[in-house]
Amino acid sequence: MSDQTHSGRGGAKGVLRSSQDFAAGLFLIFIALFALYLGWKLPMGTLRSMGPGMLPISLAFMVGAGGAALVAMSLTTDGEKLTRWSVRGLFFIVASILVFAYTVQTMGLIVAGPASMLVAMMASEDIKWVEGIIFCVLMTVLCSLMFKTLLGLPIPINNLW
Amino acid sequence: MSDLLANLYLGFGVALSLKNLGLCFVGCMVGTLIGVLPGVGPIATIAMLLPITFGIDPTGALIMLAGIYYGAQYGGSTTSILVNIPGEATSVVTCLDGHQMARQGRAGVALGIAAIGSFFAGCVSTIFIAAIGVPLSKVAQLFGPAEYFSLMVMGLVFATVLARGSVLKAICMILLGLLFATVGTDLVTGQERLTLGIQDLSDGIDFAPMAMGMFGFAEIIKNLENVETRDVVQQKIGRLMPNLEEYKQSAWPIIRGTVVGGILGILPGNGAVLGPFASYTLEKKLAKDPSRFGKGAIEGVAGPESANNAGAQTAFIPLLTLGIPPNAVMALMVGAMTIHGIVPGPQVMTKNPELFWGMVASMWVGNAMLVIINLPLIGMWVSLLKVPYRLMFPAIGIFCCIGIYSINNSVNDVVSTAAFSIFGYALVKFGFEPAPMLLGFVLGKLMEEKLRQAMILSRGSFMTFVERPLSAALLAVALIMLIVAVLPSIRAKRDVVFVED
Amino acid sequence: MKRFIAAIAAAGVLYSFAASAQTYPVKSIVMIVPFAAGGPTDIIARFVGDHMSRTLGQQVVIENVVGAGGTTGITRAATSPPDGYTIMMGHMGTHGAAPALYPGLKYDPTAVEAVGMAASTPILIVAKKDFPARDLKEFIAYAKANAGKINQAHAGIGAVSQITCALLNSQLGINPTAVPYSGTGPALNDLMSGQIDYMCDQIVNLVEQIKAGNIRAFGIASPARSPALPDVPTTIEGGLPEYQVQAWNAVFAPHGTPKDIVARLNDALGKALADDVTRNRLLGLGAVLPGKAEQTSEALAAFVKAEVARWNAALLKR
Repeated sequence: MSDQTHSGRGGAKGVLRSSQDFAAGLFLIFIALFALYLGWKLPMGTLRSMGPGMLPISLAFMVGAGGAALVAMSLTTDGEKLTRWSVRGLFFIVASILVFAYTVQTMGLIVAGPASMLVAMMASEDIKWVEGIIFCVLMTVLCSLMFKTLLGLPIPINNLW
Repeated sequence: MSDLLANLYLGFGVALSLKNLGLCFVGCMVGTLIGVLPGVGPIATIAMLLPITFGIDPTGALIMLAGIYYGAQYGGSTTSILVNIPGEATSVVTCLDGHQMARQGRAGVALGIAAIGSFFAGCVSTIFIAAIGVPLSKVAQLFGPAEYFSLMVMGLVFATVLARGSVLKAICMILLGLLFATVGTDLVTGQERLTLGIQDLSDGIDFAPMAMGMFGFAEIIKNLENVETRDVVQQKIGRLMPNLEEYKQSAWPIIRGTVVGGILGILPGNGAVLGPFASYTLEKKLAKDPSRFGKGAIEGVAGPESANNAGAQTAFIPLLTLGIPPNAVMALMVGAMTIHGIVPGPQVMTKNPELFWGMVASMWVGNAMLVIINLPLIGMWVSLLKVPYRLMFPAIGIFCCIGIYSINNSVNDVVSTAAFSIFGYALVKFGFEPAPMLLGFVLGKLMEEKLRQAMILSRGSFMTFVERPLSAALLAVALIMLIVAVLPSIRAKRDVVFVED
Repeated sequence: MKRFIAAIAAAGVLYSFAASAQTYPVKSIVMIVPFAAGGPTDIIARFVGDHMSRTLGQQVVIENVVGAGGTTGITRAATSPPDGYTIMMGHMGTHGAAPALYPGLKYDPTAVEAVGMAASTPILIVAKKDFPARDLKEFIAYAKANAGKINQAHAGIGAVSQITCALLNSQLGINPTAVPYSGTGPALNDLMSGQIDYMCDQIVNLVEQIKAGNIRAFGIASPARSPALPDVPTTIEGGLPEYQVQAWNAVFAPHGTPKDIVARLNDALGKALADDVTRNRLLGLGAVLPGKAEQTSEALAAFVKAEVARWNAALLKR
């Protein structure tokens, strides 16, 4: 979230002068529409007794308006370009979280820990398997000691046997 | 005055007994540990330790639990600085400049100034509580729903100042945060809103999975994009302690942060959460060169960290003097006191003076302990940064997963963290910043509640916000700040367009 | 999916039959408390759970599962395997008012196995300091005459303060402006500052503020005065005898838990309530403990049926 990608500032051609802002605006409009779709049936109520829909619906409109403003700006003001998504990183990191989620309660940390970390490691190009596996085992031991033994949190360690 | 000294004498007598020193130390250690571990918060830990405190006398038990609470606040800054993961809303701000400092090889300096700022804030606010805690507790009574709403509006203006880039994008993020905050059961009617029919969403979106996904995991995915830049943190380590110049830079921010955070901490309804944001805004506005903020300005760590710790201490005021807990951790402290047969209320101070003053004194002792525990640890934390990133990020990931899971023992919390990782990464790609959204989200729930309460009480008249003097004053400050904050950045935006980098 | 759940439940029943009364319990028992740690229900659960652990020889672990007025936690507990290793601390809301408040409720309070009553905390009617009334009669008269003007606070839909005040309002035939808060603390704060006129809540949340004179109590909705607040008259003395309501807390087990296990749990609960230390801890909260006759599983089952009917009548008619 720190260093913005500095590629292509001001160098855009065509109608779109900032593909990043354009996409960002569309993204917000999409969220706003989705919220409106979910919430349009909620009663708005009156000012004296606001209904459950009053804030979500008005906020959705505001978010949508913000998105529209970004789209408009992307056509008039130069800005950053959209950069490529890191599909590999995204896929493996998200997968590692899900692997953890779906193994921790059934099998315990003894499986969830190494499995999740190994999947995560695949996100990086410079993965070293031997080092990685040793590291996973050590980390799992460390985590069980720290979370279970030291802090006494009710996290399942071993549900296999 | 002599009363105060006599009371403090009594308090220190209690706090410095060997057993209470020991309990305070244990509390501070456990607190530091859970603060450093992302996700694991003081609530889960204190709830876990409640049964253990059955066997301890109430004063000792509360001293230990309080130690966990402020120890966790303290430890949270370490994670924010080193790996850019805010464990709680109050450490979101520390991430902004603290992690940038770490990237520049100044992790030790950032950790050091955070420790020293927190210690100073802790000492001052302990004296604060002891000397004027009781009259100060009356401040809470001045804040009705209308005043709270206006205070929250002021808080949202802070959020625009947090932004490093475009103000329009920051405002969009705040609105999005507010929208996310409306997810869940409606307080007034009990109707479910925007929940997609998912039962876990009926109580709204949780802060921790959201913060962890949008900060922790999105950051990892972003770092993985680029092998060359991601190891920057490892290559430079630098000094472990701030130098004289840095102390000078931080002195006033620490003092200002202490005052701002201390005052906001007194407000029931978790006013403390605004402290760090307010302090950051203040420092950025006062700075000669506000553009340094967000790029590793030491004031952006010193001020908010002091505000955070001051607020954590003064949050005890409404609990100890009124018996009204200002946040979820304090509600748990109420439970801990009740378990020991002490019902918190205005009479605790007169009926259990050794408990009240013992706790106040123990806060000072605890803060001293935290510095002693943490200063030597800085070297260790910083050397952890030398771990190669290919091993670091899976480790961060597993800590986050376990932490999230342990909050509610809920698999769904972990799954929602995955969803927020994707969402957070998308935000990065679209050039949005997560900090304003998180602030909007945190304030959103309270804001809607207070807005609706105020409108019910005023029978539907918006005039209530300007007719009540305190509320009007807060709104005026918000308006002035908005003008001061937005105008220059619009101008600055224009400059950026013309000055290519 | 349904068949899958049924299979798990069946497996659970088999398992618990295999390992029933003589050996039970062989591992720690999870007691799900559907409210946050530190609240009245949680504290009662911890007090009785602490002593039950000693009788049963296995730790009774309190797990707080919070959400949707307590129904999230009870749903999780009620759908757990009925083997006696997951039990729950239900209360007036989750096992009394919930069917009236939540049309899509995923459990039936009358179908879960009743273990036994733990403790009740009486409800108080409290008002701001300068409420223009001297006693309950004047309070009722003023409230009826000014029903459009006065504000009543509650701690959210399904909270004890909301349900019990709804009952009071329906008995008085008034419809004041209800202001919802997220929790008792902030509601109490605005009651103390005078923005709110009155509310109803459990004694433990209010006792210190009443003693300090920050708020005033007009009546306690129990048959007898509370030793914690001997000066506060009962609603019977005050002229509103029909307003009798207590926030009761009772232990339940999932539907299908074997009878002998329920009996063992009931026995452990009874021993806890007979223990002097536990008794005094509970009485210190201002709680009222059930008599011997009310401690049986059968008494609780009958009581829950009556409560569900009562709240259906009180909450659905408005």
